[in-house]
Amino acid sequence: MIDFIQNTVDGVMFGSSYALLAIGFTIVFGVMRRLNLAFGASIMLGAYMGTWLHVHYQVHVLVVAVTTVACTVLVGIYVERLCFHAVRRDAALASMVSSFVIWMQLEEAAIHLLPERTYAFPGLFAAGSYEAGPFLFRTEQTAMLLLAAVMVGALHLLLHRTRFGLALRATSENPLAAAYMGIHRTWTVLCAFVLMSLAGGVAGFAILATDQQITPFFGLWATFKGLIAMMLGGMGSLPGAILGGLLLGVVEAHALWYLGAEYRDLSAFLLLFAMLVSRPGGLLGQRILSREELAFRRV
Amino acid sequence: MDDYVITVLSNIGMISFIGLSAYLLLVTGEISFGQQAYFGLGAYAAGAVTAMFLLPIWVGILVGACVAGGIAMVVGALTLRLSGLYFSISTLAFAEMVRLILLIVHVQVEVEGEMVGPAGAEGFHGIRWMFERDLSLAHFMLLIYGLLALVLIVLLLVERSRLGSVFRMLGSDDLLAEMQGLDTVRYRILAAGVAGVISGIGGALYAHFTTYVEPQFFNVMLGVHALAYGLIGGLGTAFGPFIGVAIDIGFLESVRFIQGYRMIVFGGLAAVLLIFMPRGILDEERVHRLKTLFRRRNHAGAQRR
Repeated sequence: MIDFIQNTVDGVMFGSSYALLAIGFTIVFGVMRRLNLAFGASIMLGAYMGTWLHVHYQVHVLVVAVTTVACTVLVGIYVERLCFHAVRRDAALASMVSSFVIWMQLEEAAIHLLPERTYAFPGLFAAGSYEAGPFLFRTEQTAMLLLAAVMVGALHLLLHRTRFGLALRATSENPLAAAYMGIHRTWTVLCAFVLMSLAGGVAGFAILATDQQITPFFGLWATFKGLIAMMLGGMGSLPGAILGGLLLGVVEAHALWYLGAEYRDLSAFLLLFAMLVSRPGGLLGQRILSREELAFRRV
Repeated sequence: MDDYVITVLSNIGMISFIGLSAYLLLVTGEISFGQQAYFGLGAYAAGAVTAMFLLPIWVGILVGACVAGGIAMVVGALTLRLSGLYFSISTLAFAEMVRLILLIVHVQVEVEGEMVGPAGAEGFHGIRWMFERDLSLAHFMLLIYGLLALVLIVLLLVERSRLGSVFRMLGSDDLLAEMQGLDTVRYRILAAGVAGVISGIGGALYAHFTTYVEPQFFNVMLGVHALAYGLIGGLGTAFGPFIGVAIDIGFLESVRFIQGYRMIVFGGLAAVLLIFMPRGILDEERVHRLKTLFRRRNHAGAQRR
């Protein structure tokens, strides 16, 4: 029983980073109904820039953090301009494939920047742990959970208490009606991308600072985890993204403990496939799915 | 031709199978991130037939194609309700499941004093049918292109037939197709199955060309590349995927000075291309224009005679 609870706690802690990645995906999906496959790669390139500074100039960890987030945002803007803004609005497929080829491009650029397989990434704290009763908590994972909670809180305030948040939600609810209300679509989409990259950059930094290393596989990993978590929770739903991320973390932690390392990813994909086949809207996205279906039927 | 050229050409041929498979689904309006799963299943099944049971290669290719097609139909039936992105992600999840299961599967039999069979992460070694028969790479390349031509002819015939129109109809508006009295469920499963078979044939050939397959090769990169080839080449004709493959592997592989920067160049080119041609180089409109051009010219020629 203690093992079970400990695994669940570990899962929730790690799942908080998945939740941040999923939030990034879901913001842009909500506004554009399109998938940005280059998301993981843009975080990776941002983090590589930070690591590059760290490797060559031994800068402070906070500079690495700021560089990572800032470069992720810049790359995010590049992706938005090239793959989403410039592509015709009725060509959702072209946008997705375009973001995929840009993923490959960004990944190769990152590998040219730092050609070795692994690099040390500066941690925020020295790795440590503390005990509470029979349970063990790792310091850096607790910090990640807190950071995720702060980010989610700030996002919630931004989306529900500001005019910009209102514009974003209106666009994702009904783009045409939002445009009639005088909301500038292009601008809103660009801001959504910046927001996505911000969430992604912070999540990326938190994950890498916990792992304390970075490899060229990070882009693929981040895209996958964010995508799975978003789909589990329900596409386009913010609370769903959080729930999906936590669920993914918990399931992976249990699979790792009870079945072994090779079943960790398998369990995640199995869960996703089963969820999509039985309940395509995920945990909280059923309403969004049925609304879209309704709109489709009406046309 | 030296071995390098033959290898590149063979790779173009084998990757074209998975490109065609993704293209077929694109035509029916489904975006699949998971065609590499059937490529992998075809490769493992065909490898098992020739290396573990010592049967001839045509049995291997047949079994590979059937296994891939059968599983593709089951997955197609399971994911029927899904559309758009939901469908894409479910195919991705399935393909990753297949890859991760192949990483665990460990089934080996003793053949002539050697253990042969899938060995988890180490892959499936010793699919040596081609070398045991002293076939050169060039011969095998002919086999690849022969089968590819066959598949292409079948696809082009399908495109001219009623079935082709049904597939395109599903792609443009499946509600309308249903209202015309078409059994969309059956056609969707059929399309998934045919796409699986095409991909499976490619996998079966791949296993015998390289003599060795590992699950890592069938990762999502292969599948999304296949998708990109179909879209870049164009959705108007089955020749589209070749153009995509030829641009990526053929052209960029052969230009030396962009070695190491291949994805940066290809990624940038493809992204710019998709801005101006969102349905690829040979999209429906251009194919139609080309066809009328040919027809008019033939017509004129006939009159002159």
